[in-house]
Amino acid sequence: MNKLKVNYSYMISLTLSIVIALLIGAILIIATGHSPSEGYGAMLEGVFGNSRVLGNTIAKSLNLCLTALAMAVAAKAGMFNVGGEGQLYLGGLAATMVGVVFQDLSPVVVIPCALIAATVVGGAFAWIPAWLRVRLNISEVITTIMLNSAAIFFCKYLVNGPLKSTEKGVVAATENVYAFKMAQLIPASNLTTALFYSAAIALCVWYVMGKTTIGLEMKVTGENPRFSGFVGLEKDKMMIWSMIASGAICGIVGMMEVYGIHGRFTENISNEFYFDGMLLAMIMNYNPFGIIAMSFFFGILKIGAYAMELSTGISGEISQIIFAIIIFLMAAQSGFKQYFSKKFIKLKGEQQNG
Amino acid sequence: MDKLSAIFTLGLFQNTLRTATPVILAALGGLLTEQAGIMNIGMEGMMLIGCFAAVAVSFAMANALMGVFAAVMCGIVIGIFFAVFVVKLKSDEFIIGMALNTFAAGTTVFLLRSIFGVKGTFADEGIVPLPSIEFDWLQSIPLVGPLLNGHSIFVYITWILVFLVWFFLYKTPYGFWVRAAGEHPESLRTAGINPDRMKFVASILCGVLCGFAGAHLSLGYLTMFAEGMSANRGFIAFACVIFGMANPPKVFLAALLFGFLNALGLRLQSVGIPPDITAMTPYVVTVLMLVYIITTGEAKKRRRARRLVEEEKS
Amino acid sequence: MKIDNIDNIVEFKNVSMQFPGVLANDNVSFGIKSGEIFALVGENGAGKSTLMNILYGINNPTSGEVYIKGKKVENFSPTEAIENGIGMVHQHFMLVPSFTVAENIVLSKEPRKAGFIYNKSKAIEVAENLVEEYGLKVNPRDIVSETSVGIQQRVEILKTLYRGADVLILDEPTAVLTPSETKELFAVIKRVVKELGMTVIIITHKLYEVMAISDRVGVMRQGKLVGVSETKDVDEKKLASMMVGREVLLEKLEKTGSPGKLKIKVDNLYVADNRGLPSVNGVNFEIREGEILGIAAIEGNGQSELVEAITGLRHIESGHVYIEDKDAKELNARQIRNAGVAHIPEDRISTGVSGPSSILENLIIGKERRSQFSVKGIHLRQSSIRRYADDLFKKFDIRGAGVDTRVESLSGGNMQKVVVAREFSYDTPILIIAQPTRGVDIGAMEFIHDKIVEKRNNGAAILLVSADLDEVFRLSDRIITLYEGKITGEFKSGEISKMDIGYYMTGDRREGTDE
Repeated sequence: MNKLKVNYSYMISLTLSIVIALLIGAILIIATGHSPSEGYGAMLEGVFGNSRVLGNTIAKSLNLCLTALAMAVAAKAGMFNVGGEGQLYLGGLAATMVGVVFQDLSPVVVIPCALIAATVVGGAFAWIPAWLRVRLNISEVITTIMLNSAAIFFCKYLVNGPLKSTEKGVVAATENVYAFKMAQLIPASNLTTALFYSAAIALCVWYVMGKTTIGLEMKVTGENPRFSGFVGLEKDKMMIWSMIASGAICGIVGMMEVYGIHGRFTENISNEFYFDGMLLAMIMNYNPFGIIAMSFFFGILKIGAYAMELSTGISGEISQIIFAIIIFLMAAQSGFKQYFSKKFIKLKGEQQNG
Repeated sequence: MDKLSAIFTLGLFQNTLRTATPVILAALGGLLTEQAGIMNIGMEGMMLIGCFAAVAVSFAMANALMGVFAAVMCGIVIGIFFAVFVVKLKSDEFIIGMALNTFAAGTTVFLLRSIFGVKGTFADEGIVPLPSIEFDWLQSIPLVGPLLNGHSIFVYITWILVFLVWFFLYKTPYGFWVRAAGEHPESLRTAGINPDRMKFVASILCGVLCGFAGAHLSLGYLTMFAEGMSANRGFIAFACVIFGMANPPKVFLAALLFGFLNALGLRLQSVGIPPDITAMTPYVVTVLMLVYIITTGEAKKRRRARRLVEEEKS
Repeated sequence: MKIDNIDNIVEFKNVSMQFPGVLANDNVSFGIKSGEIFALVGENGAGKSTLMNILYGINNPTSGEVYIKGKKVENFSPTEAIENGIGMVHQHFMLVPSFTVAENIVLSKEPRKAGFIYNKSKAIEVAENLVEEYGLKVNPRDIVSETSVGIQQRVEILKTLYRGADVLILDEPTAVLTPSETKELFAVIKRVVKELGMTVIIITHKLYEVMAISDRVGVMRQGKLVGVSETKDVDEKKLASMMVGREVLLEKLEKTGSPGKLKIKVDNLYVADNRGLPSVNGVNFEIREGEILGIAAIEGNGQSELVEAITGLRHIESGHVYIEDKDAKELNARQIRNAGVAHIPEDRISTGVSGPSSILENLIIGKERRSQFSVKGIHLRQSSIRRYADDLFKKFDIRGAGVDTRVESLSGGNMQKVVVAREFSYDTPILIIAQPTRGVDIGAMEFIHDKIVEKRNNGAAILLVSADLDEVFRLSDRIITLYEGKITGEFKSGEISKMDIGYYMTGDRREGTDE
C-alpha cells in the first residue's frame, strides 16, 4: 500500500547521526593512540578484504536483518516483542533436538522438520505474552522481558543437564548436528545456504507488510487499535498472530545459528542478537527496506570491529559505542527537530520584533 | 532432614542478604523512575558504569570512598543524560534504556582495554575494597547477630536507603510531586509544578542509586571489574520494581525473595536441583503475579458492574 | 495600552489562539468585572475552554493581550496564574487518583514540618477548615479514586480556594453533576461571590443555568465572541440563537418517503461505563427504514455508551439489541458491521480514523478483502483501490493534497468527511451516527447533513446522537431525550420546541407535557 516515498528529513537525520557517531568513534580511536584512518581502514579491510570475511559480514547482516524484521512484524501491529532473545533460544534448541533425535535421517527430511520445530516453538513462546496482552491487557513489554530471562535459563538448564552432550570436552551444549550443517556458499565462512532461507523470509515479510490486506490491517491496528476494532478488523487475532510470526522468525534465527554456524546448540548461542535487531528496527521505523539496508551497515560495523581489534589492537567495542550513539540520536531525532524549530521560530520572532 | 538442615544454614541467609543488596539498590532507583512515570530498563547499564568507575578510581587513588564517589558522579551524569533524552527530547524511554545498556557494555570494555590493557576481568591488589563492618554488640545476639553482622558496609547503607526512599516518596512533599508526576502529570502542572522537573529528579536519583549498586558490586560484593558484571541484575531489579509495585518495602522484600532464590539455587545443587531452574523462577513468578493481580482486579470490576446494574433495575 | 474599564479584574484584548489547523480563538476582547458571576456559553468547540486555559496559563495566546487586575500578563504559566489569584476547575479533573482528598487539596503547597516533611495532620486540619468555611462537604481522608464525581469536583474547588484564588473559573461544572448536586454547587458559588467578594467565571452550554446563576453572560461561536450582555436583558431563546446562529441560514432539507420495515430494536438495555458504573438504564426504542431517530441529551447521560453497545464496542450488561432479526449481544463489532451497521463515532481522532495512515488507507479499510480490491482477499489490487479512493475523495469533496495525505494532517471537517465517506460507502441499511459535525466548519456541516438525509431518503434506518440541538431538530424524524441513562421523553419532529426539550434533557419533566 505504501508507495515508495523517500522521507528526506528522515534520511538527513539518519546520515547526520551516522556521521556524528563515526566522528565520536574516530575521537575514541585517536584517544587510544591510533589514527582514525588506520582504525576504520582496518575495519573495511576486515569486511571486504577477502571473500571469507565478506561472507561472514553478510551472514552477520542477515542475522541482524531477520531479528529486526521479527521486531517489525510485531511492532507494525502494535505489539512490542522484547522477547525475541528467548524465542530465539527456544526455537534454536527445538530445531537442534530434531537433528539430534533423527540423526539417521536424510537432511532433506531433517532440515525442514527442524525449520518447522523452530517456527512452532518460537511462535508458541511468543503466543504467551501476546495472549496475556490481548486478553488481560498485561504489558507485553514487561512479560517478554521476564520470559526472555526465563527461557534463557531454561535452555541453560537443559544443555547443562538432560540434553548435555556426552562428547568429551564439550561444555554446556547439546550433541552436534554436524551431519545436517548447511553448505557454505563461501568456503570457511559463515555464509551458508541459510542465505536463501533468510532472503525468502525477508521477501515474505516485505510482501505481506507492503502488498497484502493483512499488512494493511496490521498497520492500521498498530497505529490505532481502537480504530481497528471500530472498523471491524479482528484486532485481537491480528495482534496475537503478528506476535506469533515474530516469535517464529526469531526461532528460525536460532535454528540458523545452529545449522548454519555452530553445528550444535550452546548456552551462548546468541549474544543479545535480538536486542541489536530490535533497536535497529525501531530507529528505522519498522520499514522493511530501511531495515535491510541498515542491517548491512551494522553488520559491517560489527564484523569490521573484530578485524580492527585483531590487526590494530584498538578495542572492537568501539562498534558497540557507535551503534549506541546512532540509536540515541535517532531516538531523539524528532525531539531535536522540535527543539531546534522552536528555537528558530523564537529567533525569527525576536528579529522581527527588534 | 539432614539434607534440609544442610541447605538452610546461616550461610544461606547471609548469602541472600549479600546477593540481594546490589539488586535492592538498583531497584530503589528503578522504583523512583517508575513512580515518576518512566519505564526504566537502563539500570543494567547505569550499574555497569558505576562498577567500572568505582574500580578504576579506587585503584587509581587507592581509596574506596573516592571510588564510590566516582560511581555516584557517573550515576548523576547518566541520570541527567537519560532524563534529557526521555523527558526533554521525548525519546522512547525503552529505546534509550536499551541503548544505554549497549552503550555501557561497550564503553566499559573499551575503557578496560584502553586504560588497563586487559580483557575480561580486572582484578588487582591495588583496588581498595569497601570495608566490612563488625558490631561486637550485634554478634552477641543469637541467630540474628551472626546473620546481620560482618557484611560489607553497603549492606547496611541499603537498609537505611530503603527507609529513606520510602520516607522521601510518602512523607515529603517532593515525594508527592514525584508520584503525581507519574500518575497524573497534568494535575501537578496545573498546581504550578512542572512534572518534567520531577521526572528529572527521579532519573538523577535513580542514577545515584545505580551508582551505589555498581560500587557495591565491584568494591563490596567482589573486588574487581569484569565485563558485563552487572549480569542481568538490572533486569532482576526491574522485575522487583514490577513485583513490588514500586513500593519501597515491597520492592525490598521482592529483592530479598529473589536473592534468597538465587542463594538457594546454589545450595540446591547438592540435592540435584540445578541452579538454572531456581534462577528462572523469579521471572516466571513475576509474570504469574501480574496475571493474578490483573485477573482479580478485573473480576472485581465485573462483579461491581453487574451488582450496580441489578440495583439500578430493582 | 490603556485599559478601558478599571473595574475589570480580567481583561482580554484581541486574543487569538491558533492550533495546528484550528483557529480556536479569533480576536476575542471583553472584560470581567470584579465580584460578578460571568457565564461563558457556546457550543462544543466554540473556544470557551481554550480562552479560559489562556487565562490560567496553560496556553499562551498566538496574539493579543490578557490583563489580570490591571496588569498585563505574558508568557504565563499556571504557577503565575495561581499567584495572581486565578483558580480553575477543569472539565477533566486535575486530581491524582491515588492521593487522599487532603493531599490533593494541598498539592504543591503542602504544609510542612521541619521544613521538608509533609505535615499530614496539618493538611487534614486545613482541609477540614476549608470544608467548614465553604460548606463543601468532603472527607479529607478519603482516597480520591474512591469518591464520586460530585465529591471530586468539590475537592477541585477546595484546591483553588486553598491557593487563595479570588477569580474562580469553572469549566462545564454541571456536566457531571446530578440536579441536587448542581443546586448545591450554585449555592456555594453564590455564597463565595457574596460573602468573599470572589469573581466566578462559569463555562457552560446549559442555558437555564446561565439564567439561574450569572450576572452577565458572554456568548462564543466558532472562536469568536458574539456578544456580552447583562443576564437580565436576555432570555434563553435569545442566547440560543446567538449560540447556534449559523452565518448562513440553512436551507430546508427535502425529506421523502415514509418509515418502512423495522430495522433496529433496543430492548430494555443496560450498559456500564468504563468505571463499571451503570450508564444506560433500561432503554427501549425502535428505528424503521427511512427514518432518523435523534437522541437529544447532555453529554455524559449514557448516549455514548448506548452507541458503543449497539455497535458492539461495549459489553451489554443486560437487555437486547436486535439488528433486523439478529441479537447483537451475541455478535462482536465485526459481525455487527457485517450484519449491516455502519457507524460514525463521536470521537473521530481516537476512534474514527487512523491518523498516521493515508486518506486512501482510511477509506479502503474494512473493504480491503472484497474481491474488487484484492486477489483472493490477500494481494491488494493497488490500481483498483486507488481509483476507488480517488472517486470517494472527489465525491465527498475532501480537501487535501490527494489520497496519499496523512489523515492526521487534515482539518476537522475534512477528517470527518473521510469518516463519512468510508462509512456511507458501505451502503448498509443501518447507520449509527454520533456527533457528525462536531468541530466541523459550516460548509462541511451542510454537506454532511445533505448526505445523511440522502441516506434516509434512500431507506436507511439512522440513529443520530448529537450535542447540537439544532442538528437533532434539523435531521430527525423522531426525537428521544435521555437523562442519566433513561429515556425521559419521545417526540415526533415538530411536536416540541428546542426550548421545551431542554427540560426533558435535564430530567425535569414539566407537568402536563409528560408523554
